[in-house]
Amino acid sequence: MRYLTIALTKGRLAQETLDIFEKIGVTCEEIRDKDSRKLIFVNEELKLKFFLAKGPDVPTYVEYGAADIGITGKDTILEEGRKLYEVMDLGFGACRMCVCGPESARELLHNNQLIRVATKYPNIAKDYFYNKKHQTVEIIKLNGSIELAPIVGLSEVIVDIVETGSTLKENGLKVLEEVCPLSARMIVNQVSMKMEDERIRKLIGDLRNVIKG
Amino acid sequence: MQRIFHTPEGVRDIYSRECSQKHQLQDRIRKVFQGYGYEEIETPTFEYFEVFSREVGTVPSRDLYKFFDREGNTLVLRPDFTPSVSRACATYFSPEKEVVTLSYTGQTFVNSSSYQGRLKETTQMGVERIGDDSPEADAELLAMTVECLLASGLREFQVSVGQVDYFKSLLGEAELDEEAEERLRELIAEKNYFGVEELVEGQNLNQDLSAALQQIPHLFGSREVLDRARSLTDNPMAVQAVERLEKIYEIMKIYGYEKYISFDFGMVSKIQYYTGIIFQAYTYGTGEPLVKGGRYNNLLKHFGTPAASIGFVIVVDSLLTALSRQKIETFQEEEPYVLTYTEDMLEEAVVKAQRLRKEGRRVALRKVKEGC
Repeated sequence: MRYLTIALTKGRLAQETLDIFEKIGVTCEEIRDKDSRKLIFVNEELKLKFFLAKGPDVPTYVEYGAADIGITGKDTILEEGRKLYEVMDLGFGACRMCVCGPESARELLHNNQLIRVATKYPNIAKDYFYNKKHQTVEIIKLNGSIELAPIVGLSEVIVDIVETGSTLKENGLKVLEEVCPLSARMIVNQVSMKMEDERIRKLIGDLRNVIKG
Repeated sequence: MQRIFHTPEGVRDIYSRECSQKHQLQDRIRKVFQGYGYEEIETPTFEYFEVFSREVGTVPSRDLYKFFDREGNTLVLRPDFTPSVSRACATYFSPEKEVVTLSYTGQTFVNSSSYQGRLKETTQMGVERIGDDSPEADAELLAMTVECLLASGLREFQVSVGQVDYFKSLLGEAELDEEAEERLRELIAEKNYFGVEELVEGQNLNQDLSAALQQIPHLFGSREVLDRARSLTDNPMAVQAVERLEKIYEIMKIYGYEKYISFDFGMVSKIQYYTGIIFQAYTYGTGEPLVKGGRYNNLLKHFGTPAASIGFVIVVDSLLTALSRQKIETFQEEEPYVLTYTEDMLEEAVVKAQRLRKEGRRVALRKVKEGC
């Protein structure tokens, strides 16, 4: 039997994924060991390999078949726009992609004027403003602390992930519009789905029973 | 001035061993094409934009390499052979009178910047069978696909066959609004079972149809999938689609290649011109299909001569990658015989080299300096 390789998103998403995998009898103790310097973790019994990657890289690994399966957030799948099967919503890691800004910016979203939008997700922001709202905007790509942009006057609004909204509140910002809901998804390489049909389908079925149950 | 030594992103040099392997591979595939009596054709590397326009339904316009001629016409580097060959066929042959079978080899160009790490220029080899709507034609192309892959040295692969009419007919019956239909198509393409379930259950459909639509993403695998697909619906067009696949499978048995064939009713392609069966071949070691093909009964209409047709292409570069990743070494490596000579031995050396070459040997002449 071949190894099935599973790419997990580093951080909390990986922990939650491993929790749910444990419930269906797929375990990998090594990967939980925080001190380990290993990059690849193997479950010999089930012929599974795991590795941890940065979120936006997970769809890349899966598209090229370096990983057969990946678990990552809907935000990175949308942003990367790669060719793969998105087979299941795992339900956890739920949050929202939103347009946020100071209350005063709300009206700017209604009269089609050119505004600046700071975001870590230029593709999602572009798609939302151009194709859904038909508003021309200038997109500024940032790599972190997006909330800062409207405060220091780099942009009028931001497009970012909102979980509890407490960071926004502390900085005097509000959710102005919701772009889409987000959560963890399971993605599968298109060729792997055909070549390892049975094993992958069983994995999906088992996970689904746990989630629904 | 800064001198440039590297190639632009997405194109590359192929040399030495890899180049020789690629050519050997192409020779093997060409032999299969010839074995089935397909005639060779060459079409130009660039054509008028209209040949690859949106109505034709090939690679999306933004992914094409476009430029202008002196008169201001838009020209396009060929992204896909099928429209070119269809155009040529409509011009020079009469597919309505007699079946035309053509094969080709060449470069294709797709400018997709977002796909880093993917080649923008690839070598494709393919065939088109024009003016033939029979299941026998479908089966012949599937058999050729299998044979080409076997000839390449590949042993573990799968040819997955879909039928766009099945899904289309169920969709027609469901009469969803445009948005829901588009969303359903997407979910099925992603094999997002639960997404499909949710969406279909939210629509007010009769039970049988709802169950059938929910089953589509599960409808892939071996021969038994056909029985399942048939049991799900009474829709005449859908049943016909399944019957077609059954017939094709029976013919594949005569060829003896049925073990390589599997079915997938949820297969959709980015290429819009496909009308009946579509198929893709997969193997381990490459995340992309090696072969892509399908029936395109409406394409030739664009070029003035309607004719039912089917074709496929082999992406030679992907196949080569798969072979090397699977460590399949079936290529011959014959090093040339190096004949060294010194200045005064020139005549003997050339005569000997020519004699050996006539015998079919590879001989490289190398002059050595005296005293070395």
